[in-house]
Amino acid sequence: MTAKRAILMHPQDNVATSVEEVQSGDTVQVSGGGENRTVTAIEAVPFGFKIALDEISQGAFIVKYGETIGKAGRFIPRGALVHIHNLEGTRARGDLERKEKK
Amino acid sequence: MSFFGYPRPDGSAGTRNYVLVIPQGLIAKSICDFVVGTKTIQTVDHGSGRTAKDRERIARILIGLGRNPNVASVIVHAASPGVGYPELTAERLAKEIAESGKRVEIIDPTKDGGVYATISKGMRLARLMVHDASKQRRVEVGDEHLCLGVKCGYSDTTSGIAGNPAIGYLFDKVVKAGGTAFFGETTEIIGAEKALARRAVTPEIGRAILKAVEYREELAKSTGLDIRTINPIPANIKGGISSLEEKSLGAVHKAGTSSIQGVLQYAERPKGKGLFFVDNWMGSFSIFAGYAAAGANLVMFQLGGGGLAGRDLMEGSPSVVAPFLWCTANPRTYAMAGDNIDFYSGTVITDREDPEAAGERLYRTVIDTASGTLSRSETLAYSEPVDLCLEEPRF
Repeated sequence: MTAKRAILMHPQDNVATSVEEVQSGDTVQVSGGGENRTVTAIEAVPFGFKIALDEISQGAFIVKYGETIGKAGRFIPRGALVHIHNLEGTRARGDLERKEKK
Repeated sequence: MSFFGYPRPDGSAGTRNYVLVIPQGLIAKSICDFVVGTKTIQTVDHGSGRTAKDRERIARILIGLGRNPNVASVIVHAASPGVGYPELTAERLAKEIAESGKRVEIIDPTKDGGVYATISKGMRLARLMVHDASKQRRVEVGDEHLCLGVKCGYSDTTSGIAGNPAIGYLFDKVVKAGGTAFFGETTEIIGAEKALARRAVTPEIGRAILKAVEYREELAKSTGLDIRTINPIPANIKGGISSLEEKSLGAVHKAGTSSIQGVLQYAERPKGKGLFFVDNWMGSFSIFAGYAAAGANLVMFQLGGGGLAGRDLMEGSPSVVAPFLWCTANPRTYAMAGDNIDFYSGTVITDREDPEAAGERLYRTVIDTASGTLSRSETLAYSEPVDLCLEEPRF
């Protein structure tokens, strides 16, 4: 079975963007910026969604484009889908501000 | 590095050659319905009940559209509900447009015998003005006459990977050739503002970028809401974008890598050339008219579209006088809406096309369109109504 493809935007990123329909168990070829590595998907990662390249502990930064795009809301295993269920945005969060004030 | 455009008396060059009839309303619409080659703006924002600051914004839009290089000559009518305010009198609008050296005519129902007689007078005038405009020929002009505006929307992860980088390449190329380019959407640089501020030509401009973001972010926080319930919009999230920061970091690729020459307000004309950040709202029906009023002679929408339920693109152009290009890098969007798409760069993802090669193809599309090839949306006899980007409460 040929590997599915994902794109790495920056060498420091800990997520890559899938450009195919990735199924659980698929080997994913991650390339971009001269880097080339593989990761095994542990769940489905649809086209355009992100896959974790490393284990990401709860509260750690999630990095794409070499910049932080949020924090892990819970532990994220390698090969997992990274999206709104486990990534917390950190900017313009009026809801968090409200909780702090209470 | 040139296109075929219409030189204007103020030294600019148009990509189109319209007669503009403003402000909005029955008189303008009736004239435009009867006379080919004319354009008007359709909006409910005529100025009544607005603060002086917002009325000035409306005036800036109308004057700016009149001065846009794509406009050969202008008819201003004096029958909008806003004309009683000093900012919006027909005389003021006409005077400031005429400073660009264009022919401007005023029609006024109180002097010309009422609304029907004014429409009739306007039709006669518009026909003559369109005929005169048609005598002008396109000539070869340099790319320094290009003035581009971009918005990205219905973004998904293809936008940041392949769509916006193609626009960024185009912007770099046009700015290097001495042209002008606008990007904006302040909410959607939240998370990417520091890198942008570092590209400002002076520390003051850098601070202005940070200040625009700070103001917008505080405003967002004051709602008490998780911004993700507002922006990224559901279509972004469905397309794989997980946070506002991720959206922003993908979005700013469309600005290329050039130095930022200034921060402009909505519909504000730049004083020089180069790349400008516009402190504006992302609204599809708002942003493009603002760019056109600032002088853009061609605008583009970089579409993700992965999260769109169906073929629900807006039809027709909200940029009034500037040709409007649809660009996408999403193979599914292209398959779904191909006949609306002017430029496709999904090949960067599916066929490993070099992003610079895709940018070069976009540049050719822009040059062709600037030289007279119709954009897909220009083939529709419809333009979207415009929602002006106004800031203050209405009373």
